[in-house]
Amino acid sequence: MMVSDGTTIRDGADSEYALRIHDLVKRFGTTTALNHAGFELRRGERLALLGPNGAGKTTLVRCICGRSAPDSGSIEMLGRRLPPSGGRHELGFVPQEIALYPDLTARENLDAFGRFHGLTGGELREAVEWTLQWTGLADRAHDLTKTFSSGMKRRVNIACGVLHRPLVLLLDEPTVGVDPQSRDRIFRMLEELWRQGTSMLLTTHQLEEAEEQCDRIVIIDHGHAIAEGTLGELIASTVGANRRVVFTLAEACPELGGFTISNNGLELATEVEDVALDLPELLIRIRESGGRVCDLDVHPPSLHSVFIHLTGRELRE
Amino acid sequence: MIGTVVRVGLLRMWHGRTEILLTFVVPIVFFTIFAFIFDEQIGLGKSPRVNLAIVDEDSTELSREFVSALAEWETLHIYAPVAHEDGIFVFNSAAPARELVLAGTLPLAVVIPEGWSGSLANPDTEPVGLQLLADSSDPVATQVVTALLRQTSGRIAAERARQQVQILLSLSPDEFADSPISRFGNPAAIEVIDLFAADKANPVVSMYAAGIAVMFLLFGAVGNSGTLLEEEESQTLDRLMCSELSMIQLLAGKWLLMTLVGIVQVTIMFAWAQVAFGVDLVGHLPGFAVMTVVTAGAASSFALTLAALCRNRAQLNAVAVILILCMSALGGSMVPRYVMSETMQQVGKITFNAWALDGYIKVFWRDLPLVELAPELSVLTATALVLFGVARVLARRWENS
Repeated sequence: MMVSDGTTIRDGADSEYALRIHDLVKRFGTTTALNHAGFELRRGERLALLGPNGAGKTTLVRCICGRSAPDSGSIEMLGRRLPPSGGRHELGFVPQEIALYPDLTARENLDAFGRFHGLTGGELREAVEWTLQWTGLADRAHDLTKTFSSGMKRRVNIACGVLHRPLVLLLDEPTVGVDPQSRDRIFRMLEELWRQGTSMLLTTHQLEEAEEQCDRIVIIDHGHAIAEGTLGELIASTVGANRRVVFTLAEACPELGGFTISNNGLELATEVEDVALDLPELLIRIRESGGRVCDLDVHPPSLHSVFIHLTGRELRE
Repeated sequence: MIGTVVRVGLLRMWHGRTEILLTFVVPIVFFTIFAFIFDEQIGLGKSPRVNLAIVDEDSTELSREFVSALAEWETLHIYAPVAHEDGIFVFNSAAPARELVLAGTLPLAVVIPEGWSGSLANPDTEPVGLQLLADSSDPVATQVVTALLRQTSGRIAAERARQQVQILLSLSPDEFADSPISRFGNPAAIEVIDLFAADKANPVVSMYAAGIAVMFLLFGAVGNSGTLLEEEESQTLDRLMCSELSMIQLLAGKWLLMTLVGIVQVTIMFAWAQVAFGVDLVGHLPGFAVMTVVTAGAASSFALTLAALCRNRAQLNAVAVILILCMSALGGSMVPRYVMSETMQQVGKITFNAWALDGYIKVFWRDLPLVELAPELSVLTATALVLFGVARVLARRWENS
């Protein structure tokens, strides 16, 4: 496959899917971490994998990486069924932790992980130079990574997982602990890869990242994929397209039907289908009931509301 | 506030079982080991018995009486070949006994030279003293046996003097001075012949260099093997296992690195011993090289096994400190094994410190040819291979869980 910058990357089979997880089950003693989990990552797609803590994301990631053998079910990558371990040359993995050697320089880290991925000679040198440019760290190539900021470490961390130009990239919370500028930089880097044809599976707790950076979303809970689709599809199938409107009152007013009241009667909330048509009517109702609106917020349906709708509000830990 | 500081410290200690182990258990373990080594009352055996050969070139009634008296000492164990059945075994000439000392089979051989009893009985003859062929790597044995020889010969001399005293009482002072009793009354002449140290610049230092080197070889290897656990904690191991690298390659790479570092570490140690203390490293290079390679290899496998066994770096450090110090104490890195009871010396053989030190002693002390290192090289090589295999099996937990 020829990509936009002229480099050639290895092509996989002619499969529609970069990754197919089918009916995956994994138990640890009496605990079922994966309970017939299944979903697909299409080729050239960016798919967000969301789920509360303990939902099974980490186990799923470990199974995909070959670090944990599923009890049953299968994983296909580019049309090829993966063995429990090994045979994952087309896969790139970026762990959640900064999985680097802190007492090596950026270049030494890249060189080492390039070699571990089977690169040698000119191919290795070219890959190291490319990733140094790609991460914007060419001028810090000879500095020890332990002296880097969190954002810089994250960039090297990602670079070490893509040196071998994988067709499928698995990113486990790649922006944890970085500032907004670094996050933007990281997503610009990832977008560049995506434009070159890399399919990406991204696990994250940052819902806005999933909304903004991914094409589709899979929500997993209790070891099972409970919803899958674009944001619009998820909203339509769960909370609907209604806007949530919250009125803040100057002083509490008598109870009004059709509103959820909170904050000692100072906040009234409801849902509307059409803001332009419904909002004036609601304002009139409140005023006629003696309420004086001093502020109002209109919330469109979001991934956050979908997530809470599907997984509930209770803590899982 | 101070109370809170104390409370927090105690709570942290309580939650960190490793720290409790290091603080309270390690001293007890150590005390117990050293008690076994030094205290014959609670040890696994009695205080060390000195093995020695007896050479009776004199072959007289007096010399036989002397040999019988020596054999009565519980502290002494008179060497006898396997085929020998009854009675005290005595060599007729010094040569085979000398070979046994040179080979390290025995630390000492007592030689009663021809003419010894004659010289005692006849003051006109040239005095002939007892000879002690000694391996001075065990100075304690030499001193113990020298004292026993003096005591035994003195006792025999006193008995002989008593038997002749009535005859001699009638002599004039001049006649008494020339009589045999005067020679019997003299302290026994004992010549200690050190079979090893004569041509060595500083032989004892080589033993201590080996002891310290092996102990720190173990500490160094364990420190290096801990990187596996660090890689596990930082998910670097996950990343490595997702690459083309296999677990056997990872372990082999770690082993090779640790072995190379260990070889350099021991070489620097002995090079310094040569420069500062005159240990002849250059003159023993082949023996040193093979011993160092197999010892470093065995230490690396041991360290890999420990790392694969432990769950985290703190646990590895605690277990390693206990094991290495115990192995070093039992194996002779801290206290020479010749001061231990025979039982403790046998117990020490379960540690590879003991095998390594025995090998280095054969090289630097006894100047033995490489072929004589076969037992040590075999045990250490087998240890390296078996422990590497164990580490490989234990490392399966990192491959797939």
